[in-house]
Amino acid sequence: MRSENYPLHFSLFIYPTLFTPFSFFSLIPSYPIRHSISIPMEKYEKLEKVGEGTYGKVYKAKEISTGQIVALKKTRLEMDEEGVPPTALREVSLLQMLSQSLYIVRLLNVEHVDKTSKTTGSHTKPLLYLVFEYLDTDLKKFIDTFRKGVNPRPLPNSLVQSFLFQLCKGVAHCHSHGVLHRDLKPQNLLLDQPKGILKIADLGLGRAFTVPLKSYTHEIVTLWYRAPEVLLGSTTYSTGVDIWSVGCIFAEMVRRQALFPGDSEFQQLLNIFKLLGTPTEEQWPGVSSLRDWHVYPRWEPQNLARAVPSLGPDGVDLLSKMLKYNPAERISAKAALDHPYFDSLDKSQY
Amino acid sequence: MEFDLEDPLANFKEQQNYTISELFASETNHMPSPNCFNSTHCEAISLIFQVQLSCNLEPFVAYLAINYFNRFMSRQEIPQGKPWLIRLIVTSCLSLASKMNSTHLSFSNLQREGCKFDGESIQKMELVILGALDWRMRSITPFPFLHFFISLAEIKDQSLKERASEIIFNAHNEIKLLEYKPSTVAAASLIYASYELFPQQYSIMRDTITACKHIDQETLEKCVDLMQEMERNEVKGLMKDRRFLSNETSTKRQRI
Repeated sequence: MRSENYPLHFSLFIYPTLFTPFSFFSLIPSYPIRHSISIPMEKYEKLEKVGEGTYGKVYKAKEISTGQIVALKKTRLEMDEEGVPPTALREVSLLQMLSQSLYIVRLLNVEHVDKTSKTTGSHTKPLLYLVFEYLDTDLKKFIDTFRKGVNPRPLPNSLVQSFLFQLCKGVAHCHSHGVLHRDLKPQNLLLDQPKGILKIADLGLGRAFTVPLKSYTHEIVTLWYRAPEVLLGSTTYSTGVDIWSVGCIFAEMVRRQALFPGDSEFQQLLNIFKLLGTPTEEQWPGVSSLRDWHVYPRWEPQNLARAVPSLGPDGVDLLSKMLKYNPAERISAKAALDHPYFDSLDKSQY
Repeated sequence: MEFDLEDPLANFKEQQNYTISELFASETNHMPSPNCFNSTHCEAISLIFQVQLSCNLEPFVAYLAINYFNRFMSRQEIPQGKPWLIRLIVTSCLSLASKMNSTHLSFSNLQREGCKFDGESIQKMELVILGALDWRMRSITPFPFLHFFISLAEIKDQSLKERASEIIFNAHNEIKLLEYKPSTVAAASLIYASYELFPQQYSIMRDTITACKHIDQETLEKCVDLMQEMERNEVKGLMKDRRFLSNETSTKRQRI
């Protein structure tokens, strides 16, 4: 751990975000505002690193005043001479709006931190931290408990159905706000186990352009849930990329292991082709003109039901619609909510 | 992603119907609370208009800045007798609004307009405002509802939307109209504009809007009345100006 960045109790030098007239205005006795408008205070106690989001480290932390456990995510959004940068403003406000959904991890607060360099003692530009609600389980860990351990058993069908429904709800919510997630995977789906609620996390910032191959720490980003059009170098992908991932996650909940576990982009494509057949121009117009298309062996499509043996016909039908090669034919998240697979679900609870 | 006042939820096209109910559901999060306005309101608005004119800002930026200002002031008691503080708040609201809209409005431009604050003060006030508004900067304004109601009534004429938008811009300066929900303001402005421009379609517009389950008819009527009053006052003002002009020309003519 780089201690100059993260002392154990790291201090957030913040401006009060919810302030009373006294707490704020007493700080500005007269114009001009002095440099010390921010009051240094230890607002959060960092407990442990819980993850390496694609776009930054995530810490479990305790808000000292309330004892509330939160997830703290450092962004790389720095203030500049023109104040809050427009991209930060637009993206954080979008995140704030998205997190109104029950199926998206809630953004509780945005903190700005004046980091003081230990070596020089000088102030650097304030950084933005995002404070999210903290949930201690994710879908990956959850599936693992059913696969390993003393009592390996399948996930109850009703649970798979409920989690998938909530996932589709969350994805539909993102898509209805013009936001693609682009990195949906079981690790990014947090669970509130007592309530049986699934929430989408790690909606990154600055995703307007490309899907990163490596995270900023150069950790390899998993390819298992990546849509074929992305693997083939398409630059015009849309909501279908998330639906593909949802399909892979759906299958993984049923199988308790990943549907397409590839360790390179090439292997990933071959895994997909071996099960679904090598895509053809008839099936997916334009596929052979994609940037990274090569001549591949011609595999015939296998019976998808055999990959998910415990799933009923409605479930297999929905899965096959999520895993359509042609992104334009893939079912939308919103349409998926009305699929017969969910007919036996009591939707009034959601 | 750039913030478009007419499309605050940044829809993918096919999702339009899905989000309109969400707009209705969350519009009240973006409103100032009533009874919080005093003389500072007028002062702030005139400063915003001054900057809008001299920096050639889009009306939407000014609209958004006023929205931020009103919401901030309704969450915050500002000590009296500190006119510089109001100016700093206004300056920061303008800066935030222009950034949301991807309009370039540099601190130096603002500083030239009598908002003589250093960059650091503006930045700090920006953060204070963001905190107070919970970073809900994608304000829900009457404009997306305008679009929605017009598509419901199937009136194609662009002039109706233009006139209604004009009324909405005017209504933002009217303290009495600030307590109405954005959807109500949009509905009322359309009813009033269609009454003015297309009397034969007025009843269609009225029926379509009142049939919408999200709109309370009684509140809507009050809002339309207030708008009518506002617009009449405006017209009276204009007529006074014209009378003055015509008197002048007639005296000139007499002289000739």
